[in-house]
Order: sequence, then C-alpha cells, then structure tokens
Amino acid sequence: MAGADPMFRRLVWRALRWRRGRAAVVFAALTVGAAIVCALAAVYFDIHAGMSRELRTFGANFYLGPAGAGGATWAEADFNHLIAGAPPGLVVAASPCLLGTAQVGARRVALAGVSFEGLRPLAAYWQVRGAWVAADFDDRNAMLGARLAEELERGVGDELTLTNDLADDAAKPLRVKGVVETGDANDRRLIVSLALAQEWLGQPGRLSHALLRVDGPPERVAAWAADVRQRYPALDAKPILRIAAAEGLVLDKIKGLMGLVALVILALATLCVNTALTASVSARAVEFALQQALGARRRAIVAQILAETLLTAAAAAAAGLALGWVLAQLIGRAVFAAAITFRAPVLPLTVTLALAAALLAVILPIRRALQTEPARILKGE
Amino acid sequence: MNIIETHNLTKSFGSVIAVNDLTISVRRGEFVAFMGASGSGKTTLLNILACLDTFTSGEVFIDGHNLAALDEEGRRVLRANKIGLVFQQFHLIPYLTALENVMLAQHFHSVTDEPAARQILGDVGLAHRLHHRPGALSGGEQQRVCIARALVNEPPILFADEPTGNLDEENECNILALLQDLHRRGRTVVLVTHNPDLAARADRIIRLHHGKVFEP
Repeated sequence: MAGADPMFRRLVWRALRWRRGRAAVVFAALTVGAAIVCALAAVYFDIHAGMSRELRTFGANFYLGPAGAGGATWAEADFNHLIAGAPPGLVVAASPCLLGTAQVGARRVALAGVSFEGLRPLAAYWQVRGAWVAADFDDRNAMLGARLAEELERGVGDELTLTNDLADDAAKPLRVKGVVETGDANDRRLIVSLALAQEWLGQPGRLSHALLRVDGPPERVAAWAADVRQRYPALDAKPILRIAAAEGLVLDKIKGLMGLVALVILALATLCVNTALTASVSARAVEFALQQALGARRRAIVAQILAETLLTAAAAAAAGLALGWVLAQLIGRAVFAAAITFRAPVLPLTVTLALAAALLAVILPIRRALQTEPARILKGE
Repeated sequence: MNIIETHNLTKSFGSVIAVNDLTISVRRGEFVAFMGASGSGKTTLLNILACLDTFTSGEVFIDGHNLAALDEEGRRVLRANKIGLVFQQFHLIPYLTALENVMLAQHFHSVTDEPAARQILGDVGLAHRLHHRPGALSGGEQQRVCIARALVNEPPILFADEPTGNLDEENECNILALLQDLHRRGRTVVLVTHNPDLAARADRIIRLHHGKVFEP
C-alpha cells in the first residue's frame, strides 16, 4: 500500500521541497482564494448585524400606535409593558411620543412630547444646531424644528413661552437648546419632554404613538408584531415597510455581490493552480514515466500528485483563514465601523472550498500524468 | 530454456514498421546484445520486451508469460517482478538520494527494505555515496545507481539500453564489467547498443536492420 509506506511520505515531501517555486505559486493562488472566501464569508454571515447597525442611522423601522383614526391615544403603561416584555435584543431603541398643539405667544404651534434619550438613537440623521436635550426629565429646555424656528424667529439659546388660552396665568418658559432639521414633520414642531407635553396637554400617562428600532430577521419582527396585535387588539403594531424592505433589498444585493466576487476569485485561483500544476506535471513527465517503468500502479501516481496538492492546499487554507480574518476586520471597520464577529460556518466553508478548488484544479494534471507513455518519454522523445 | 521468445513480432507506427515479423529467442542466463544503427528498431524491440510498449501482431513470451494475453495491470506486474531496466540517461529522481532512488523501486514493487538497498549499492561500489543526490554523483556513479535500482528486486532479466552512451571510456569499462559480472552470476542480460565493441562482450549478437534480424 503506497500511502502507508514511509517512502511515500518521503517522496511527497521531497518533491514539494524540490519544486518549492511551483508549490509556492499553488500555495499563493490558493491562499488568496481562501482569504477572499474567508473574508467575504465572515462578512456574509455577520452582515445582518452589521447592516442593522448601519441602517439604524436611517431611523425607526417599527410603529406602535392606536389602531383606527388619527388623534387617538393609548396608555404609556402599555408601552412600557410591551417594551419590557419584548424578546431580548429585539427592540434596540424606542421613542414614545405624544402630539398636540400649544400656544407660543400669538401663535399656535404643533407640540411633540418625546423621550429624548429614546429618540436620539433613532434620529441619528437629524441635523442639530446647538445640542440635544440630554435628559427625559428636563422640562426647561426644548428643541425647535428648523421651519418653525424661522417662523418664530427663534434660534439656539433663545427663550420662548408656552401659554394657555384657557388659563391666563399658565405660562411655561423654555430655552431653545437645539434647532433641528429632520426633513419630516418635526421641522414644524416644538419638541419637549414627554412628561411636560402630557402635563401641558392634559393627557397624563397617554401616548399618540411610539417609534421603535427593532433588530433581527424579518420573520422574527413580524412574529412579534402579530403577538402585540393579538395581546392589544386596540393597537396597531407594524414594521415600517419602506425601511425594512430597503434593508432586505440592500442585504440581498450585497450578499449576492459577495458570493459572485468569491466565486470569481476562486475560479481564478483554480485556473492559476491548474496552470501551475499542469506545468509541473509536464516538467515531471520523466519522473512519472520512470515510476510506471518501475512498476508503479496508476493509483500510486494519483496518490502522490493528490497528496502534494492537498498538503499545499491545506497549508494555503490555514494561511487564507488567517489572512481572510484580517481582511474581514478591515472590511468591517471600513464599511460598518465595527468588528466582524467570527461565525462558525466560516471555517469549514473556507477549508472545504480551498480543498475543492485544489481538487478541481488537479484533475487535468493527473489525467496528463497518467497519459504519460513511458516508452516514448524514457527514450527521450 | 528460453526466457525471452518472440514469434513473428511486428510493431508499426502508422505506415512505419519499426519491428518487422521478428522471431528471436534468448536463453535463461544468456548475455545477448541487440545491435543496429539508429532506426533499426532495437529500442522499440526492447520496449516491447520490457512491457513498456505494446505490439501490433505476433507473439511475445517473457519467462513463459504470453504478453498478448496480459492487460495493462498484468504487464505492470510482470515488469515489476521480472524486469530490470537500465537507461542511457539514468533517469534518477533528482530530489532523492542514491539510496532512496534504489528504495523507490522496492516501494513500487512491494515494500522498502533499506538494508537490501544498501547492500546492492555496496555491490556496485557505491557504499560511500548512499546519501548523495544524483546531482552530486558522476555519470558513472549515476549509472551504477541505475543498475542497483534495476537489480534490487532481483528480476531475472536485465535490459540495458545504451547503458554507456553518456559515459567516458573508463566508466564504460566499469559498467560493462559490472554487467558481465551480473551475467556470470546467472542473470539474463540484454544489451542494446549501436557500438560493435560493446556488443562483442555479449555471448551472442542479434543484429537488427529495418526491424528485421540481419545476418551479415
């Protein structure tokens, strides 16, 4: 049995060392292929988390509010209960909101009471002049939508006073801590803390709606929405499809692109390995002819070429894994500004594909080695 | 008793007939030289007898085995067990030492036996060169490694194709002396050469011309 004989191992090892130049070409090609596969696979399996982090800056992707006509409110206690009971890790940010109108001087303005701490992660895209109101309990500062600020001729640091038509003595002075440009209805709102809005509007413990950022596969989000609707029939709970669909589309496109790139790189590596091995086998025609003349079985020659190739491929897969891991981190930093987490399938996938590429590349060279005609080759033709 | 026999052996490459209706025999233990000019068919004949090549028609018997009845695997087994080959270009594996080159023949025959390989290299005068690679050996030494490799599995027939073609005169004499010694010890030796002086060392010369036996 050729494989069990120490001579076989010696033959394989010495052949690799003797032709280390060609072995290095095979090693380099497979290492590059394995590294690309490893890096893209690592990103592929981690991209949902990465993309979610990235898309989080696009705003909320889930709506909670009373079903039916606008203007209805619902209990803040229900909101708190829902958030507390959500599956771990599903809700990554939430901002309850109460809408109404208030008097500022002679003008009636739209008022939004929010949880500033909850809103801020959902409104990363807001352009803020000045600063955010830092705490939910802050009832002395407010933020002003950019259009409303123009109309009221107020800016950062200015004061304005909420007044109440029904009670002449009721007045609430506020300082404008930030002017925000949001590109939506908030550009025309006065934004204050939720507690202040509830008190000023006379609706303690009530909410108009809540905006959430939920993380996870669409199926999991849909299941939670259905569960909420079942437990609170008066509530409407639904993903904001525009964001969710865009997220899915972007993910699908990126994943497809990565698969294609990995496939092309692997195909190129396979071609390169095939070329190097074909050249190597041609250069070793006399060696294989001699082995046949000495009585070598065909499978002994196949075993030798396979062993040399797979040893090189195994080393290349190991190097490719290390290199690919570094590459994945670079991609993670550059694209998602975060580290890529190692996912278990990356290791077997990279090793399997590197070995498969090597096996594919070695088929033709093996056929060529077996087609060697000892009589003609050993005669020197 | 004949160890090699051919009856009406013919080998053609397309329209070119390299061996033409050849009937010859070699007795066990005989030292025979196939002699002829380039293109006479002597190397083609050796390749057929050494089971390295097939033939077009006729019959060939090697140590009683009819080659026409053997498939590729059968010819491989016969070649590994009955035939030792010595080449003009030596054909040693460059990355193996002299000892490992000899052990390679054992490896493909059955299992390696390092003491036996050392012994045979000692017999051809290379006990001090066991661990040298071919590149560090002279032409004569390389040919002796080649002969040791051919003999290590103790085949009854040794085919030597122009074994001194790449050697100087001194090494030529040494190699011929070695072949004659092997013959004296009972081995059947078939020497292929175009050199009449070398052929004259054999018991019998079979002259070939255009693939046929030529009687001058």
